[in-house]
Formats: sequence, C-alpha cells, structure tokens
Amino acid sequence: MKSGKKKFTVGRAFLWAALILTAVIQIFPLIWLLDFSLASSTEMFTSGLLIIPEKIQWGNYQKAFVDGHFLRYLKNSVLINGLAVLFVILISIMAAYACRRMKWKLSGLVKTILLLGMMIPIHATLLPNYKIYSMLKLTDTIWALLIPYVAFSLPQAMFLMTSFLDSIPMELEEAAVMDGCGIYRIVFQIVTPLLKPSIATVSIMTFLNNWNEFMMASTYLSSPTWKTLPFSVLEFTGQYSSNYAVQFAVMALTAAPAVIVYILLNKHITKGVAMGAVKG
Amino acid sequence: MKKLYSNKLVITSLILPGILVFIFAILAPICLSVYYGFTDYSGMGKAEWIGMENYQKLMHDSTFWKSLWHSLLLAVGFICIQHPLAMIVAAILDKLQGKAEGFFRCVYFIPNVISVAVIAYLWKFIYNPDFGLLNNILKAFGYTGKINWFDSKIAIWSVLVVLIWHGFGWGMLIYYTGIKNIDPVLYEAAAIDGANQRQTFLKITLPQMKSVIQVNVTMAIISALKQMETVYLLTNGGPGDSTQFTANYLYQQAFKAFKYGYGNAISVVFIIICILVTVVLNTIFAERAEKGKAVR
Amino acid sequence: MRKKVLTTMLSMTLAIGAIAGCTLAASAEEEVTLKVFSNLPDRKNGQGLVEQMIIDEYMEANPNVTIEVEALDEEAYKTKFKAYAMDGMPDVVSIWGQPAFLDEVLDAGVLAELNEEDYADYKFIEGSLEGFKKDGNLYGLPRNTDVAVIYYNQKMFEDNGWSVPETYDDLLALAGTIREAGMIPMAMDGGDGWPMAVYLSDLVEKINGSTNEIFADAIANADFTADALKEACELMVESAEAGLFQDGYDSQDYGTAMNLFTNGQAAMFYMGSWEASMALNEDIPEEIRTNIRVFTMPVVENGAGSANDIAAWNGGGYAVSASSEVKEEAIKFLNYMYQPDKLSKYGWENGVGMSAQDQSEYMTGDETELQKQIVEIVNNATSVSGTPINDCGPSAFKASIESAIQSMTNGTSTVDEFLSVIAEACK
Repeated sequence: MKSGKKKFTVGRAFLWAALILTAVIQIFPLIWLLDFSLASSTEMFTSGLLIIPEKIQWGNYQKAFVDGHFLRYLKNSVLINGLAVLFVILISIMAAYACRRMKWKLSGLVKTILLLGMMIPIHATLLPNYKIYSMLKLTDTIWALLIPYVAFSLPQAMFLMTSFLDSIPMELEEAAVMDGCGIYRIVFQIVTPLLKPSIATVSIMTFLNNWNEFMMASTYLSSPTWKTLPFSVLEFTGQYSSNYAVQFAVMALTAAPAVIVYILLNKHITKGVAMGAVKG
Repeated sequence: MKKLYSNKLVITSLILPGILVFIFAILAPICLSVYYGFTDYSGMGKAEWIGMENYQKLMHDSTFWKSLWHSLLLAVGFICIQHPLAMIVAAILDKLQGKAEGFFRCVYFIPNVISVAVIAYLWKFIYNPDFGLLNNILKAFGYTGKINWFDSKIAIWSVLVVLIWHGFGWGMLIYYTGIKNIDPVLYEAAAIDGANQRQTFLKITLPQMKSVIQVNVTMAIISALKQMETVYLLTNGGPGDSTQFTANYLYQQAFKAFKYGYGNAISVVFIIICILVTVVLNTIFAERAEKGKAVR
Repeated sequence: MRKKVLTTMLSMTLAIGAIAGCTLAASAEEEVTLKVFSNLPDRKNGQGLVEQMIIDEYMEANPNVTIEVEALDEEAYKTKFKAYAMDGMPDVVSIWGQPAFLDEVLDAGVLAELNEEDYADYKFIEGSLEGFKKDGNLYGLPRNTDVAVIYYNQKMFEDNGWSVPETYDDLLALAGTIREAGMIPMAMDGGDGWPMAVYLSDLVEKINGSTNEIFADAIANADFTADALKEACELMVESAEAGLFQDGYDSQDYGTAMNLFTNGQAAMFYMGSWEASMALNEDIPEEIRTNIRVFTMPVVENGAGSANDIAAWNGGGYAVSASSEVKEEAIKFLNYMYQPDKLSKYGWENGVGMSAQDQSEYMTGDETELQKQIVEIVNNATSVSGTPINDCGPSAFKASIESAIQSMTNGTSTVDEFLSVIAEACK
C-alpha cells in the first residue's frame, strides 16, 4: 500500500468519475449493440438511447447462429489461429535458439533478417501474395491464411523469444550436454519449458493479432470451407440488408467468444500483453 | 560441447523453417511487387515492362499523397489524444487497489478483443446521422441538429475516434505496466519531500516512462501508416478520398481500377516508407537514450 | 444408443450408396460440382430468391450436379470478381454487360463464348444482348431490363399532401417541404458512388434527350466539357446542397439507404427497378411495402428530354468461365436458367422488375402495383438512355468517377475539378 487509509475528497471523487466515464465510453456501444440485437428491426429508428424491446426477439440470434454458419466459422477461426500460434511458437523457439545459443558466423545476420519482417506492412503483400497463391493453387485453402499469419507474427515472437532466452542461464543446458543430450532434446525438453512465460505472451499476441485479421481472409478465400468468424458479419449485411436487428445479433454473436474468453482469462492475458508490449 | 553447438546440420535444421517462411511469405512477394511495379499489368493477360512510369505517376498522384497525409494526421491524433488519455487513466488506475483496479482494466480492454469487422459495422451504426447512437446522445442533451460524422471535412477524425476507442485498452495497459515497473522508492522519496500528486506525476512518473513512451510513439506512427481494415470497412476511403489510406488505396487500384501493376508500385513505395520511418525513429530514440545515459 | 443410431445411419448410407452406385453405373453420369459466383447475397427475397429457386430446381432435376453458391454484395462482388479474373473464375458468374466491367475481362479471354443461335427461342428483347458481345461474339446473357426510378412512399405523400413532382424544380421544392416536416426527402446510396453516377446519367438524359453519344465522345476524347454534362453536374450539386438526400448520404451504403426508406424515415429512394421486389419483402413493415410506388426522374426545365425519355439499360446478367473444367455443364445450367419460364417467369412472380426477355405471357394482372407501374414506364418510353456514365469507360475511369462524384456533390471539389479529374482517368 502506498498510503494508508484514504479519505474521501473531491479529488478522489473526480478520479473515480474519470475512471467510470472512461469505462462507460468503452462499454456502452457494446451494451447498445446487445440491446438492439434483441429488438425488432423497426424499433431501431427511435431517438432513445436504449430501448426495452416490445417483445424480446431471440429469433434474431437463431437466425444469426444458423444462417451465419456460426459454429463452422468459429471452428475455422479457432483452428486457423490455433495452428498459427503453434507454428509461430515452434519456429520462433527453434530459430531463436539457433541464433542465440549456437555458434555460427551468420547468426546475427539471420536474426536481423528474421526481425526485418516487423517493419513490413502486411497489407503490402496482399497483391503479390494473391498472385503467388493462385499460381500454386493455394487460394481457398487453409494455407493461404496460415502462411501470412505465421510470417507476420514470427518477427515479434522471435524478438520476445531471443530476449527471454538471453535471460536464461546456460548452466542447465551445459549440464544436459554433459549427460549426452542432443541439441533437439535440449531445445524441446529443457529450454522450451523454461520459456513458458514468453510462450504465453507470444500465443496471446499472435492470437489477438490474427483473430482480428480479415483482409487476407476475404481476398484469398471463396468457399465457406475455411471462412473465419468475421465473415458472418460481412455476409449478413448482404443477406439481411433489410433487417438491422439480425445484423446486430450476428455482430454480438461474433464478438461473444473472444469477449467471454477474455473475461475468463483476463489476468493471464493482461499479463501476457503487458510483457509483450513492454519488451516489444 | 563446442562441436555440438556448431554442428552446421543442426543449425540449418533449426533455422530453416523460419527462413523458409520469411522467403516465401515476405521476400518473394516483395520481389514480385518490385517486378510488377515496373509493368502495366492489369491483373489479366500480359504484363508489359514500362520502366519507371508507375512511379512517375505516383509522384503526381494526389490521392497517394493524401493517404500519407492522413496517416500523419492519425499518428498525431494517436500521440496527442490517445496516449495522454491512456497515460492519465493508467496513472489514476495505479492509485486504486484491489478489485476495482482489475475491473476497470478488464472493461477498458474489452473492445480490443473484438474483431475489426464487428467494430467497423457497429460504428457505422453509431455514427449514422438519422438513427445512430451518437446523435441520439446529443439529442438527449438537448442538441437538435443532425451531425454528419462522415462529412468529408471531419470524416478522418471520426475514423480516428473509432481507432482510439478500439485501441485504448492496449495503450492504457502498456502505460499501466510501465508505471507499475517504476521503483516505489522514488515515490516514497517524493512523498517525504512533500510533493503533491501532480508534481509526482510530472517529475517522476513521466520521466521514468520515457522508454515506454518512445516505444508507444513508434508503434502509433507505424500503426497509423499501416491502417487498413477499419477504414476499408468503415468508409472504404470515402467520401471522395477524404479517409483514404495507403494500404486501402493500393487495394482499390489493383482490384477495383484493374491497375495491378500500379497497385504494386504503391506497395513498394509503401514498404520503403515503413522501413524508413521505423529506422529513423529507432535511430532518433537510440541516440537520445545514449545521450541520456552519458549525462547520467 | 448413440452408437446404434450411428450404425443404422451408416448402413443406410451404404445401402443408398450401393443403389446410387448402380444407377451411376447405369447412366454413367459423373458427379459434377458447379461453382456459382453471384452478386445476390439475399437469398430469401427478390432476385436472390429467384436465383436460388432455379438452382434448387436444377439440382433436383440433375441429382449428379451439386451447385455451390458464393454470394457477395455488389461492391465486394466486383472487387472479388477482378481478383478471380487473375486467378481463374468460378464456373458461372454474374456479370454486367457494360464496358467498364466487361471490356478488360473479355480482352483477357476469361469468359466462355456462347453460341448466339442457341438463344433464338429464348425471347430476348431486341438489342438486349448487344452489351454482352465483342466482335460479334456473345459472352453472356442479360438478366434484367434495368430502369432508374424514384421509389416513393405513397401513403406518406398522401398524408402530408405532397404530390409527385412534374419538374425537377418541383422535386427540389418538395425536398424543402419534406425537410421542414422533419423527414428525409430521398434516400441515396451515395457511399457506393455508382447510384449517384446513375443519377447523373439520368439528369443528362433529361437535359440532353440522350446519353449514348455524349458519354462515348467524352470518354473517347477525355473531354467532359459538354454543356449538358456540366449542367447535370451543377444540378446534382444544387440538389445535394438543397438537402434532397439524407445527411451523410455520401458515406452510407446500399442497405442503409434502403432501410431509411423501408422504415418510413425517407419519403423517396433512388434505385433501379430491380428493387421492385420490396413490395413483397416480408422484412419490410406491411404498411410501407404495400404503399411503395414509383416515378421517373422529373423533366428539367429547357431540357431536351421528355418525361418518357428514361434512364434504362440491360445491365446485370450471367456468363460462364472460359477456364471452367465443367464448361458444358455450366452452359447447360446457364441455358436452363434462361429458359423463358425460369428467370423471367419466377422473377416476375416474385416482384422483381423486368427481365431482358419477353414477359408479356406471364402477366396475370395480379402483379404488384409497383410492377405494373414499371411495365407502364417501359412501355411508354420514347427513348432509353443505355449504359450509365460510370460504366461506359474502362474500370480506372469507373473507380475514379465513383469516388470523385462524392467529392463533387459534398462540395469538397468543384464541378470543373470533377470534370477534369474524370477526364484524366480516361487518358
């Protein structure tokens, strides 16, 4: 505790007011979204801020769930993001270990090259990648998303892994070498568990970055096989162009998984993001 | 031991996946962009080599310059509005303890985990002049006019508001962590000297946060440059080109105007600008840090 | 229990599979998957419904064929179409028989050639195939006869004592009256740019009496200084300034504009005749959908165009991809859709505007008022405009004019600047 008992003062009231106001600003649009997603479409056109729907329209959510292919798109989103996280962690640990621990001349250069990706705007590769993927027949496959997702999350992961690796003392590995361990075993059985905090951070950052991505998805995918969650929203603006309430429901539904997971894991995620942000 | 750690085969096998991903997903497309940037390729049929013509045209393309200008405005907006707010809120939050602190932190961050597609569509509704939330709020306060939030003069600021709202939690969290990392001894010393809260903030918190601020400023500028998704869904660069951004513009040129070659030329310039900005910012901040150390 | 169900189902599938296998062997029909790429995402109303009905019917009639539909909004559709043009098209696609859309695509040989003689009995309206041809060869078939119209809410008009404007000045005066009553005069999808370009073309038709030549000349010579063009632009700016369109029209999309009208917020809505199916759309409150009526752009003072010189064209349609691996089946499906008793008939029954085929035999007298009005408009037309201005040039011109027209109407740039910017895009 920085100071003992706190008295109620005007100053403190002001601080609280500021915090609450910020919270309201951040959260009210979402409450508004929920509110109108349960109303009927015509009720949108009121001048009130929030409304009590005449009849709660659960049907909106039913439509959103079924016609929005909610489960399939959610599954795709989770799968693609999960795989991206897995690849990013695996590749970044291997590369980081090779660059920081192994003895070879080009280690510095290779590390710099791998970090270079941080400066490249992901959308600048949209056009050429489209060409490349269509030549290789990769469009409309999971790879069309996985490759760029992994590639553009890798530099940051690499950065976090190397800086974390530097803070781990060599002794454990040296002992393992004495016991006759090979490099691969050292990397995956000894070092990887030690990297746990940065693995958590990398997972969270990668997941958050790619969960939001949709430009690539909308350019490279065409059939519903691999479409991700944001597509529910996009498709509904066309499909239900004359029914706003259903559009609201699909937006609320699309937002829900991430929000729920965040609220449940909020402590870990905050910690992870904070670590990644300060280091990166 | 040494032999084990310099086994070329092992090194190659460890580094190969990373390098392959880099080559395939970053290097190759850039090379292809450079090539197509020199052609008049429309996306179909044959590509004809036209040398620097695309780049010459780009130099006189007012929309392109406008899109860079918008990035600059956005960066300024981030730095002058979002960051001070985030820092102040973070400092206030730091004063709270226990459950309230966790609660607020959680609430501030929620918009951040929601997909851009939802955010953009939601804000389209919020901004609607006829039935949107914002004008309804104004109405509740007695203002009867209708504000057109996407009027071409203010549209860019409306976009900025969405981005600030969406990214606020992130920025706040970084500052919050920075503040938490400040050695409490400094605050105790200040308290002994009888400093009030504002003095403490200005004299201790702010200077101690320098490196965090630098990182955040760099990120703000870069993300302003890279802006695409929100704008694509919210305004698609309009009305006219009043909210056009580089990434969105190159996409439109390639897939709407059928100027794939020209779009790639924009890509190339875009990449160069991003690299330049990052390098320049890093050098400036690195030099500063060196000097700071020397003085100390 | 679950296991049991599973095994039963499995054995059933196997059995069905065996039977199917027999018939397969007998008829030697291959399994075919057709990919259809459509610009009609709403599959429950209007044209999207009609398209889906035909697809379902076709699959029923041809069990070996599976049809997969990818449907996107107009703007998203056009963007994705161009991406596909680089990569390889789905088998059957929506197209527009207009230079801005088709010229480059046909140059690249992306669409399959059709045999015009096959369609002699399909009752296509004379001239409607022209936009889909290149060097005399046919590459696509038109779906609609599109008419640019102003939908209005008849009940709202009557309740407030407003009357349908005879001249453009009347329209502007009416806009003022409606504004004063606290409502939106006309909902405009200005965010997309093309409806405004159609509006501009409509004005040119009324001022000049025709548009084909004036647009073709302007684009060919990259010179848009013709008086009629300038006058139309000025009129449009004046209308925007007078508050004819809703606030923020230049950033609002199709759905938003339409919803303002269908929810009784706006008195009028400028759009093509394909939205006539609004009258049957159950998502729209009954009080409104049964009161939708239509009129065409009022005449402009001293203009050469009369009330019966209308903005109409044969725009949207379908084509088959040249690189399709199942081209024959795709063409078979295309022809199936265009059998006069399919697209044309179903479209008519579902309240869509007019098709590009002769529909007279399907008129029963039970049509919606809206449909009858549109038929009347077309039948009374003394001349039709043809392709709207934005679709007359190459796609770079289209992209440019659709963005620049927003800047012009909202006052960011002047009429002269607009005309020179779009001229630049033609070079």
